[in-house]
Amino acid sequence: MRVLAVQQYFGLAAKAIRFIFARPFYIGDVIQQMDEIGVQSLGIVLLTGFFTGMVLALQTSVQMAQFGATMYIGRLVTASMIRELGPVLAAILVAGRVGSGIAAQIGSMRVTEQIDALNTLGVDPIKKLVTPRLVAALVMMPVLTILSDTVGIGGGNVIASVYVGIPTTLYWRTVWEQVASSGFVLHYIPTDFVQGLIKPFVFGGIIAITGCFFGINTKGGTEGVGHATTRTVVVASVLILVVDYFLTQVLLFLFG
Amino acid sequence: MTDAPDDTKGAPAPAASQEERRRDSDDGPRLRRAEDELRARFGEELREGEEAQERVGVSREAIVELQHVSLSFDRPILENVSLVARRGETVVIAGESGTGKSTILKLILRLLQPDSGRVLIDGEVINDVTYEEALVIRQKMGMVFQGAALFDSMSVFENVAFPLREHTQLSDEEIEARVREKLEFVDLEPDRVMEQLPAQLSGGMKKRVGIARGMAANPAIMLYDEPTSGLDPLTTGTITRLIIKLQRELKVTSVVVTHDIRSAFRMATRIALLAERKIVFSGSPEEMTASQDRYVQDFLGGV
Ligand SMILES: Nc1ncnc2c1ncn2[C@@H]1O[C@H](COP(=O)(O)OP(=O)(O)O)[C@@H](O)[C@H]1O
Ligand SMILES: [Mg+2]
Repeated sequence: MRVLAVQQYFGLAAKAIRFIFARPFYIGDVIQQMDEIGVQSLGIVLLTGFFTGMVLALQTSVQMAQFGATMYIGRLVTASMIRELGPVLAAILVAGRVGSGIAAQIGSMRVTEQIDALNTLGVDPIKKLVTPRLVAALVMMPVLTILSDTVGIGGGNVIASVYVGIPTTLYWRTVWEQVASSGFVLHYIPTDFVQGLIKPFVFGGIIAITGCFFGINTKGGTEGVGHATTRTVVVASVLILVVDYFLTQVLLFLFG
Repeated sequence: MTDAPDDTKGAPAPAASQEERRRDSDDGPRLRRAEDELRARFGEELREGEEAQERVGVSREAIVELQHVSLSFDRPILENVSLVARRGETVVIAGESGTGKSTILKLILRLLQPDSGRVLIDGEVINDVTYEEALVIRQKMGMVFQGAALFDSMSVFENVAFPLREHTQLSDEEIEARVREKLEFVDLEPDRVMEQLPAQLSGGMKKRVGIARGMAANPAIMLYDEPTSGLDPLTTGTITRLIIKLQRELKVTSVVVTHDIRSAFRMATRIALLAERKIVFSGSPEEMTASQDRYVQDFLGGV
């Protein structure tokens, strides 16, 4: 039964990806989904990003003080935010907010026979419902991550200048040093950015497909919709953390 | 259609032989009393049903056909079920809830595939068509779901326009004209309801919009799942009249699932009664009231 579910999960993902390139394109649905994802998660993503950056600065300032290296706070905050915490935290939050929303929406369409209605009207529900959500998540997750990274590094700036007395110009110079230190792809794009954006792209896909998968497979009325949302949050969060590890290994191998 | 199954149950038995059998039976008097009672109760509905049959005439061309279909989920649901709807006919599938009536509609739509037996639409066997082919075949059919199943994120207009946008090359003006026409057909005022969301509509209005959406692309076959369940008697009458209007004016072939025997008698050219995985009776409403079958009598008496 489990094996079958895994197979169905990947089948759904494959079909949804294939439909990205096939007419008709439901552009209106994609834009609406992008709007929903943005509106639903922008607030929490910014808020948590800001506090994460602040706590990183606070912790590293204590550690760095021991070596008299507090001027490098900016580098550490930046490396942690862009490579790891920005993408993962934003993705976990979006999984809780948007992934569960997708599961609830599609799950209630399942139990009220709207999915059957789509099928009956000669439209593949994967094309009409899953693909737009997938595309929207693939686009929006990196955008949200960039914003989260930015306010996070900004939060670090606040702590660095208020508690440690590092001038803002110095802070941002160390931020840039960190970004430049890991090299550039194609001469101009910092490697850290590439790594930091591949992750949210993949996580966005995981969130959308997981939400749609549990939504479409909802059984047993309104209660089933509740199960679908909880499962989505749990499974998507676990998948994000596990995939993050392996993705990091691959990215470190590729880019160093 | 060379190997059509023997359709003894489906074909209306000659009235005379039915009469004779009734006379010959041992407990004739009891049954005759039951029949008279039923006639008294459903007289008006039966007259309407007769009209429906006259309108349909003698078309013999099967549009929807189930041949010896069996299907199990975790337990057997349907066993050796055969059913035919000929062009222009309105076949009602009656039966208690949980007997597999909705399942039959899903088989016709190929949302489900039978374990054995064949399902034919317009003479074409649809058992083994691919998912993509099924999407195309379904465009011949309009389905009205029990809960209407309107897309709740779309306005009434977008709901009715949906099949047109998906499968026709009609311009925006043509689509709007068609949507208005269909809404008017189901007795809704286009200008009042078009911009409303399904959540703002009453149960009866939702059903009507569901019918308008189902018929938007002018399908040859209409399927209804419990079109009158959960509605008040007045609205039940309205929806029943609407289905009869569709049959009368547009000559669509209809398969209606219901346990509302009163509206069944009004619109059916033929009624199939489903019980314990099988079709236990199939015939005209007239024949149904005259049936000696104990289960049929109980079913009619119990409603
Ligand atoms: N997808 C399914 N999986 C398992 N059992 C089902 C499924 N769909 C329907 N059933 C069962 O099949 C029986 C018939 O269902 P249905 O066709 O909806 O009955 P009806 O419409 O006559 O009330 C019910 O007992 C129902 O529980
Ligand atoms: Mg049903």
